[in-house]
Amino acid sequence: MSPVTPKTGMDVLREKKLARKGGLGREHAANKIALAILWLAAGITVAALAVILIYVIVRGIGVISPSFIFTWPHGVNSEGGIWPTIVSTLYCTLLSMLFTTPIAILAAVYLAEYAKQGRVVRIIRFAADSLASVPSIVMGLFGLTFFVEAMHIPMSMLSAAMALTLLMLPIVMRTTEEAIRAVPRYIRWGSYGLGATKWQTVSRVVLPTAMPRIITGLVLALGRAIGETAVVFYTMGLAINLPLLPTESGRSMAVHLYLMAVEGINLPAAYGTAFLLMVIILALNMGARWIAKRYHRRMETKK
Amino acid sequence: MHRIGTRSGTRPPFRPGTRLRALCHARHARLSPCVAAGLLVLILGASCVLVAGCSGDKRHVDSITVSGSTTILPIAEQAAEDFQKQHADTSILVSGMGSSAGIEAVGVTHTADIGTTSRELKDDETQLDLDMIPIANDGIAVIVHPDNPINGLSTNEIRQIFAGRITNWSQVGGADIPITLINRDEASGTRDAFATTIMQNAPFEIDAVVLPGTGQVREVVTRTPGAIGYISVGFVAPRFVDTPVKALIVDGIEPTEENIATGRYPLSRKLYFLMPKHPSILAEQYLQYVLSSEVQEGAVRDAGFLPVISGNLNLPTGSTSQSSGDK
Amino acid sequence: MSDSGNKTGKLVMVSRATQVKEAALATLFFICAFVAVLAVFLIFAFVAWKASPLFSQIGLWDFLTGTQWSVEDNIYGIVPFLLGSLIVTAGALIIGAPLAVLTSVFLSEIAKPRVRNIIRPAVELLAGIPSVVYGFFGVVVVAPLVARAGGGAGFGPLTGWIILSIMIVPTIATLSEDALKSIPMGIREASFAMGATQWQTIYKVVLPAAKIGIIDAVILGMGRAIGETMAVLMVVGNAPQLFAGINAPISTLTSQIVLGMSYSSGLHRTALFGMAAILFLISMALVLTVRLMARDQKRKTKKKDKRL
Repeated sequence: MSPVTPKTGMDVLREKKLARKGGLGREHAANKIALAILWLAAGITVAALAVILIYVIVRGIGVISPSFIFTWPHGVNSEGGIWPTIVSTLYCTLLSMLFTTPIAILAAVYLAEYAKQGRVVRIIRFAADSLASVPSIVMGLFGLTFFVEAMHIPMSMLSAAMALTLLMLPIVMRTTEEAIRAVPRYIRWGSYGLGATKWQTVSRVVLPTAMPRIITGLVLALGRAIGETAVVFYTMGLAINLPLLPTESGRSMAVHLYLMAVEGINLPAAYGTAFLLMVIILALNMGARWIAKRYHRRMETKK
Repeated sequence: MHRIGTRSGTRPPFRPGTRLRALCHARHARLSPCVAAGLLVLILGASCVLVAGCSGDKRHVDSITVSGSTTILPIAEQAAEDFQKQHADTSILVSGMGSSAGIEAVGVTHTADIGTTSRELKDDETQLDLDMIPIANDGIAVIVHPDNPINGLSTNEIRQIFAGRITNWSQVGGADIPITLINRDEASGTRDAFATTIMQNAPFEIDAVVLPGTGQVREVVTRTPGAIGYISVGFVAPRFVDTPVKALIVDGIEPTEENIATGRYPLSRKLYFLMPKHPSILAEQYLQYVLSSEVQEGAVRDAGFLPVISGNLNLPTGSTSQSSGDK
Repeated sequence: MSDSGNKTGKLVMVSRATQVKEAALATLFFICAFVAVLAVFLIFAFVAWKASPLFSQIGLWDFLTGTQWSVEDNIYGIVPFLLGSLIVTAGALIIGAPLAVLTSVFLSEIAKPRVRNIIRPAVELLAGIPSVVYGFFGVVVVAPLVARAGGGAGFGPLTGWIILSIMIVPTIATLSEDALKSIPMGIREASFAMGATQWQTIYKVVLPAAKIGIIDAVILGMGRAIGETMAVLMVVGNAPQLFAGINAPISTLTSQIVLGMSYSSGLHRTALFGMAAILFLISMALVLTVRLMARDQKRKTKKKDKRL
């Protein structure tokens, strides 16, 4: 990563010189105040995260136990565990990953390597951006009317996975395209120079090189899909069920948390669910970060 | 990984030689798309086999769908869970989408075997030719903050409050605190029952806070001194929470179990299962189980409701004792 | 951008079969890329189709300008929800946007790598927290605090603003940081060389240069705020009334759709889909705005380059 910040030591020197000259005291003070405000803003942002994290961890960690994770909820107020919701969540997000990955990567290959910049690409890009900004509730209603009502797929893992695919597609497309574009041009030249066709170049040189960043993007999108509520609410249903077939209904962790939070009779279970949900998503984020970092370091050492 | 790359590289023009590999920075991280595609096919294949295997197993499983009122959802879910434990190879899928959806599911679209409703049928719905079986009694408690000196209100006063005509507790003899109205969302069966019995379909004041769940209503009333809301009687003092709320005496009648069962308490209602005239055997068994004392004293009470008195039942066949002998 | 790929393909002798294969693959890729276009089209088509009875049965004008919403009386005017969405979004932007932009300036201009390596991941993690967790946090922590401070039950625009502004910070901050990073180092150095302080450089040189990118970031953050559903539903109080104070419950387009959907039928459902269609159009309009601004910017820089 290229150093973006100017050398701070130099800045300090320069400021001191200016201050000594006199007459610039006001600028100097303004500078100090402004910098303090910037520090404050960053501090508030981090504090917001810290407060939410700490709150959920403190209230949730006591609830977590092997039995909370691995047993079924029982009783009308969902005592016991949340195992079926964990399985449902992972089932449908992994299924949607299975749909998303090939489509998104090939689409990104098209945009980055094949397409001539022009009207068609502009339309595709605009569509991808629009898809990324479609509110999740609209996506949920679409999933309900299209997959469930029009295509007669029951509220199930499959419907939810397909709706989530639409959600993840633009994210993965974008990160993959960026990853492909970040592959140095000369690597391609080398491949072409050896007589490779375009697809050979893409499949054996460009994609493998870009793979760590592509995986990072996929993992981040997966995190987004796991936390999604509104879409899943209308396409997967609410039944507590351990899904085996993709056409079975279930209840995701996020939906379970929502129901626990509004019904609120059994708040400890809600805290526990929130905690686990956060842990899974944070783990995915950290994992993505780790992949990126490892890849980055290797790149550095190669140089 | 590398070997595969070389082998497939024997096709006409392309031979990934050493020079090319030297060019590739991230050689260590190479995951050939061929391998990736192979993996994908493998996963897909495996899941197909799995699915086929499972569907083979599932062929003998009897299955029914129960859907409808979110009020009844907890009872139906719990009963389904226990029922499935006692009867292997049965599957009872329970979902809560609201009473209207439940009535439609069992009566119109036939996507459910049993519909559940916490309200009486509307005119057009009575023509659907469904059996209506009460499975629990419910009383709605009007709740206020425990520090509120008011102990009871008349139906009329409650109506005036929720219609927005009484806006301060001093107007009904309480302290000088503005009333904070807590309402339920329109999908709620509890709101529906409250609207019919108390409001007599007069409009609710629209500046009331609308909350989508019983728990939230209770929680907000607990911490807001001027608040008034309504929840099922069983949730006034559930065992999960130690925060208190006060249930009001309505028209001089306390919301006790007896008063609700007899219907003397003004905010009483019944919860129903709706079934077609000729239900499947499994649906019938499930209903019997729900009416057994095991569920009535267990799940029904846990869910904040009261057991139905078995004498009032107009069951198509059998009695509750039969199903308990079953297991 | 002349990628040598296209030309190379023609230069090398390849067999007919390879050529056909290459063409087939290119077509496959195009189809995959076109899935996005198809999806957007389908989403709009289906939502609009479900909402279409609205024109004949409610009337577009009554729907858009009616201030009363009553399912019992079959009156569907969505002004309370339009206004509610607007108020909640505007407030969240007023709090969240400056916070996010300042954070991004801090990250790109001031923070030393060590500090940056703590704050940037924090911002990204903030983006990863599911909205239902934010909503839950709002219900159990923020709403009681707001209630204690302002009376009432603690549900309303104020609670919504607090939760939503935290939620949009990461969206805006990361995009705006990208914009700041794309400003060439030389501009800053020139400013320092002329004796400007760090703040003067940021305020008079860097921020104006990155203006368009930052505005884009804010617009996309706005899109996120308008479309946010679960968290908003849980904290705004959902009363279908016009704005009555920052502590009085209001309702938004998104929250009303969720509350109504589970039991809606007939005209009510049509109205809810109409609201979904409006949400869709708003989000499209925001993306389009960003697009047009970017194009405008490109044209301007081109002109400048020519003059030079």
